[in-house]
Amino acid sequence: MEWVETTAKTVEEAKDLALDRLGVDEQDAEFEVLEVPRPGLFGRTRGEGRVRARVRPVQPRPKAERREKRRPPRGAGSRPAKGSRPDEPAGEVPQTEPEEIADDETIVGPAPRPSGRGGRGRNAASSGADAPVRGRARKVATPAEPASSEEPTMNEDVTVEEQGEMIQEFLEGLVDAFGFEAEVGTTRVDDETVEVHVEGSDLGLLVGPKGATLQAIHDLSRTVVQRRASGHHEGRVRIDVAGYREKRREALERFTQKVAAEVVAAGVAKVLEPMAPADRKVVHDTANSIDGVHTSSEGDEPRRRVVILPD
Amino acid sequence: MTDVDPVDDDVDANTKPAANATEVLEYLVRNVVDEPDGVEVHVDDQRASRVQLNVHVAPGDMGRVIGRRGRVANAIRTVVRAAAVRDGVDVDVEFVD
Repeated sequence: MEWVETTAKTVEEAKDLALDRLGVDEQDAEFEVLEVPRPGLFGRTRGEGRVRARVRPVQPRPKAERREKRRPPRGAGSRPAKGSRPDEPAGEVPQTEPEEIADDETIVGPAPRPSGRGGRGRNAASSGADAPVRGRARKVATPAEPASSEEPTMNEDVTVEEQGEMIQEFLEGLVDAFGFEAEVGTTRVDDETVEVHVEGSDLGLLVGPKGATLQAIHDLSRTVVQRRASGHHEGRVRIDVAGYREKRREALERFTQKVAAEVVAAGVAKVLEPMAPADRKVVHDTANSIDGVHTSSEGDEPRRRVVILPD
Repeated sequence: MTDVDPVDDDVDANTKPAANATEVLEYLVRNVVDEPDGVEVHVDDQRASRVQLNVHVAPGDMGRVIGRRGRVANAIRTVVRAAAVRDGVDVDVEFVD
């Protein structure tokens, strides 16, 4: 897994940057704080927030052990785990989806179900979880981390296959509720990623403008998985409807190339419209492979946007 | 699942306004809460152009349907609005205590 290192005025900002770079949500990432800005004279700070982050690796577990949970006959169409995208560095494509959502619900993960209800329990869990980093970042008084007590409470790992199954089931029901005729299938993408795809005609409603509906469906899928299986969720499940993802990615690449060319020509930075983390990642990746421009992000979710700047 | 068979006992697909949206809404909410049986959707179509769908859930489930910073609620709204396109109406989804 590749690490990215980012620097910003605060550790929080550096973390945001790193997440953008990785294209995943906070709970799918692992951080190391390298440098914390220190209070200087007149309330100013000296130094910068510097963090190192990577997509949290799925712990390698003995295959046999995870296999024995209910084994779906699906995944027939699975592609070989590796090799299907030999050119992708670790943090690439597969991870790009789960974020957003994740931010919301997956946080419940470490907390036991009953208490995981309602916003409060959840928030507590989340702040507990990243308190170590945050506590150092800002001078937030962080009393004895509840994190430690949270971790062990939830032990059941939920394999990415199990999550895929739940989501497939959920989507089948959804497609039915919509009254659509569509086929829902599951494909293994790589070691830690499963894709659940809906195929059929006239599924535009499930995608929505700029994929907004698809994103919402994705959010809800995560919530559903969270409700049905607490515990650590391995890997990532992404959802596709009628090949939308690939089309979107290609369109974003073209768009980014066009904007990058304009930035180079005019020598003036351009701010793009707000995008989901997955989309921003495509833009970052595309732009940073082009000479003469680099990128940064600004704004807060869900209105965070990429800026393409001339070098 | 290829059968188009939007069966959900209490929604009559042809007579009610926003039938499709209502069905999708019930489906989503039931999948998100701890007590699916506590879910009720009331259709309020008093106003001409929009149909309001009022969602009631078991007392302990409110937090679940709303989600952190309202994200679950908003995701539900987004999907239900898409479903409403098939009904030819605009819908508002309200989660009521």
